[in-house]
Amino acid sequence: MKSRRHVLATLAVLTLLSTACSGSSPEDSTGGGGEGEQGGGELVWAIGGAEAAVGGLHQQVTELWNEQNPDSPVRIEILPDAADEQRNQQALVLQAQDSEFDLLGMDVIWTGEYATNGWVASFEEERGQLEDAGVLPGALESAQWEEELWAVPYNSNAGLFYYRTDLIEAAPTTWDEAVEVCTAGAEEAGIAPFVGQGAQYEGMVVNFLEYLFGAEGQLINEEGTESLLLEGDAGRQALEFMVQSQADGFYAPGFNTMQENEAVAEFQSGSAACMRNWPSFYAQLVGEGEQAASSEVQDSTGVTTLPTFVDEGTTGVTGGFNIGVNAFSENVDAAKEFAVWAGTNEEAQLLLAGGSLPPVIASAYDELPEGDPTLGLVGDVLADEKTGSRPPAPTWNAISQAIQQNIFAAYNGEVPVEEALTTLNDEINTALGG
Amino acid sequence: MTTAPAPTGESVRRAEPATRRRQGRSTGPVARDTAGRRIGKSALLLVIFLWCLFPFVWLISTSLKNSTGALNSPNIFEGPFGLQNYVAVFEQDFFFNLRNSAIVAGTTMVVCIVIGSFAAYALARLRFKNKVLLLSGVLAVSLFPPVALVPPLYEVWRTIGLLNTYPGLYIPYIAFNLPLTIFILVTFFGTIPQEMEEAARVDGASPFQAFYRVVLPLAAPGVFAAAILIFVYAWNEFLLASTFAPRDLAVQTVPVAIASFTGAVAFQRPIGSITAACVIVTIPMIILVLIFQRRIIAGLTAGGVKG
Amino acid sequence: MASSVSTAQERPSGAPPPERERARSRELSESALGRVFMAPSLLAMTLVALFPILYALFLSFFEFVGREQRGFAGLGNYAAQLTDPRYWDAVRVTFTFTVAAVALEFLIGLGFALLMNQAFLGRGVTRATILIPWVIPTVISAQIWFFMLNITPGFINAALGLGDFNWLGQRPWALISLILADVWKTAPFVALLLLAGLQTIPGDMYEAARVDGASAWQRFTSITLPLLRPAIFVALLFRTVDSLRIYDLPKVMTNGANGTETLSILVQNYIVDQPNPGIGSTLATLTFILVLGVGLIFISLIGRNLVIGEE
Repeated sequence: MKSRRHVLATLAVLTLLSTACSGSSPEDSTGGGGEGEQGGGELVWAIGGAEAAVGGLHQQVTELWNEQNPDSPVRIEILPDAADEQRNQQALVLQAQDSEFDLLGMDVIWTGEYATNGWVASFEEERGQLEDAGVLPGALESAQWEEELWAVPYNSNAGLFYYRTDLIEAAPTTWDEAVEVCTAGAEEAGIAPFVGQGAQYEGMVVNFLEYLFGAEGQLINEEGTESLLLEGDAGRQALEFMVQSQADGFYAPGFNTMQENEAVAEFQSGSAACMRNWPSFYAQLVGEGEQAASSEVQDSTGVTTLPTFVDEGTTGVTGGFNIGVNAFSENVDAAKEFAVWAGTNEEAQLLLAGGSLPPVIASAYDELPEGDPTLGLVGDVLADEKTGSRPPAPTWNAISQAIQQNIFAAYNGEVPVEEALTTLNDEINTALGG
Repeated sequence: MTTAPAPTGESVRRAEPATRRRQGRSTGPVARDTAGRRIGKSALLLVIFLWCLFPFVWLISTSLKNSTGALNSPNIFEGPFGLQNYVAVFEQDFFFNLRNSAIVAGTTMVVCIVIGSFAAYALARLRFKNKVLLLSGVLAVSLFPPVALVPPLYEVWRTIGLLNTYPGLYIPYIAFNLPLTIFILVTFFGTIPQEMEEAARVDGASPFQAFYRVVLPLAAPGVFAAAILIFVYAWNEFLLASTFAPRDLAVQTVPVAIASFTGAVAFQRPIGSITAACVIVTIPMIILVLIFQRRIIAGLTAGGVKG
Repeated sequence: MASSVSTAQERPSGAPPPERERARSRELSESALGRVFMAPSLLAMTLVALFPILYALFLSFFEFVGREQRGFAGLGNYAAQLTDPRYWDAVRVTFTFTVAAVALEFLIGLGFALLMNQAFLGRGVTRATILIPWVIPTVISAQIWFFMLNITPGFINAALGLGDFNWLGQRPWALISLILADVWKTAPFVALLLLAGLQTIPGDMYEAARVDGASAWQRFTSITLPLLRPAIFVALLFRTVDSLRIYDLPKVMTNGANGTETLSILVQNYIVDQPNPGIGSTLATLTFILVLGVGLIFISLIGRNLVIGEE
């Protein structure tokens, strides 16, 4: 009857649709190259971000390797831009114990999580090799958890202090000095003194830790079991500085919704006298290139290392990426070889430096390419004792959340400093204790 | 079904197809032609246009600017304009993403409407037990936070091999959109008087023919409204798409592709490419809406009530 | 009629009269037909949603540290969450947002629908314009509103001459910004449903009422609103349950800061960011119960008659 015919018709359509399981993709039309099965020795490197794009720095590194190692070529699988999304996509594959990825581009804070879940292969055997090649100790620290090495440092990063050379004569070395000169310079031009990352997100945690480390404080102890936030005066000093800055107007209006891009937009349009931001923004502020076409401070941007609270040296919070090897990969040995090579080979590291990505081996900092002052500055930061890293604990996200909530509330004047620090201390201990 | 004669002194009627009036279709309240009202209405229209379009104008203006400079100043009309972002977007194989989204959204819409209408008809017209329970169950399905459903679904999909396939996307989309479809259609079927179908049955039509020839055309506004809503949902859905088809260009949909745009260097937000892609994506949607909105108003003029 | 009486007399005493027999067999086939019609939908929904929901429920009874399962927790996770002020803050924020947003969406959507229902020059373009906010992907529209409202560079501030007003960085304006962005985006959804509903109201009724001397307002309240109730019901129901689960908007615009942490952000935090499957599933289930409860209240108060019909 008619109803049955219609039902059958619908089912037929559905079946037809299901057989069209997926459409064609660009690789198909170029003759089945690209995707398909992994060649005998092909290694898949899952990494994201701006440099992972076609023709980007990471691809140049793999091309260098592929020339010298044609039997185990590395292919990049491009992950989304945001670090959180990269972690999600890697976690999906790793949790399923799949071998789709051999190499993983790991943000420095994921080491503990990946290690505890048994997702990555140990590099403890290669530690000597890395140390001999001159990998910076700070970078090495971010790749280890519970005294075991789980990844190879690949590139590093640290925040810098940008300032307007037409408004400020000498770069400040302490935060008190910074407040003075930035406010004076800003008043002269009728703009805001300082922009940074103050929104309630991970970037604000980095800013806060830079203040903390600059006061010679520490977040947690070496073993990763206890919070050191209330030890000494550093925590208090750091947080009180933030509270003061927000209340006095040292921080620009809207500081508490700013991320990296908002801060640089303000600075490059000439609306801020000083800025804390990552080295990668230098290219869009200074110079003749296409990148800096929209910059209004091309000739008046200076950059230096971050001020501290102790008038000695500098400080920073190391960022960057490590390379881990999927424990379930079918080519663990070949993958480990590539990882070690990428992190220690001078040519590869200088490639990164040429693209303004701070390298991780000491020797690269002696041969830095001309024209980019930021790399040298990062080298200074990484060499300073006060520079630390966010602990790559498995529960880092919980800790980060606790810092975000408590510090944000405190510096916006919603919660008193003492209360915020005590609550935060407790929450960190809970997160570590589990 | 004849209309009452217009009382004298009434305002001028605009011409409407006489057939629609015969079917009892609403033509809406008639506009009075006084100048005051016309100015008032124009002003109202202007406000509405501004309200709806201002963000869209911002979108277009930003998409024509350089990524790094787009947010320099709060002036929409300032700055060098150019098409470089659009070029960049298409260089990233955006055509494939558009095609994928169209296929997935289209399939979802068609299947949802088809099997949803059957279920809605059953709930609205046929007699059987536990309707309220079924209705509540139908609603409940769409209420669980999807983010919590994704990890187990991913496992199942991976085992069955539905990752990076079209069915892997449109099957969950259909399941999550059926509740809304069924609810919309049930309420629209419910507004149609039973007499219409009885008349058709008396004329010798089977229950299914009565449904197909009588009820469905009269419920057309609801059907097309539901169709647009389903299509837009499937077109813009991100969470499931980014989990089940994250990188394979053969299946990757538009929102996932947009999320994978990068700036020139680390931390930079490619606002130019993102807004350009969004404009590209919105245009087919607007065309679709322009077509469908006429359907919602006009309905189907063929078929309809006999006698 | 006479024939049935005579046949009744001829029948054996226990058997039902033929009319009732025919009626019952028609009922049976209607019931079976109903099941057949519902089967594909139920199948699709059960296959996809039932297992994950049960799995999430199952996980909520276990204790996790990170991704590691540590043992059976019974109702421990639920107790912990229900006594956590952060949970209740999220509930409060979510409800405030929902009530305000849905009310505004309804009013504005109704206005749009009435306008779109009219015949005037350029109505096609107007209808398309009104629907544009809805077709933009949620994440993108959230970003658009962020860039427009954020104090830097301050598009809205410049356009309205507000100087340095910090829309997103202070309570309660952060929540108000979210409501604004949500209403902008989803009033068209309500408008679309109500417009479709308006189309089912016969024009004659307005005619008759006008002849009887009813004013425009009277026509609106006695004809339009009551006949629009089914469409209003669906629109309100789905907007409410969607608003209770809002995620993209607060995540992109404020990341949950300044009093905008909704339930879904909390859920996402524990399922994806941290992750802690035990707490995450618990929060998801609590959210589900809350939303389902609201939905059921809706159905029982307003929807029962409308939907089930002559039952």
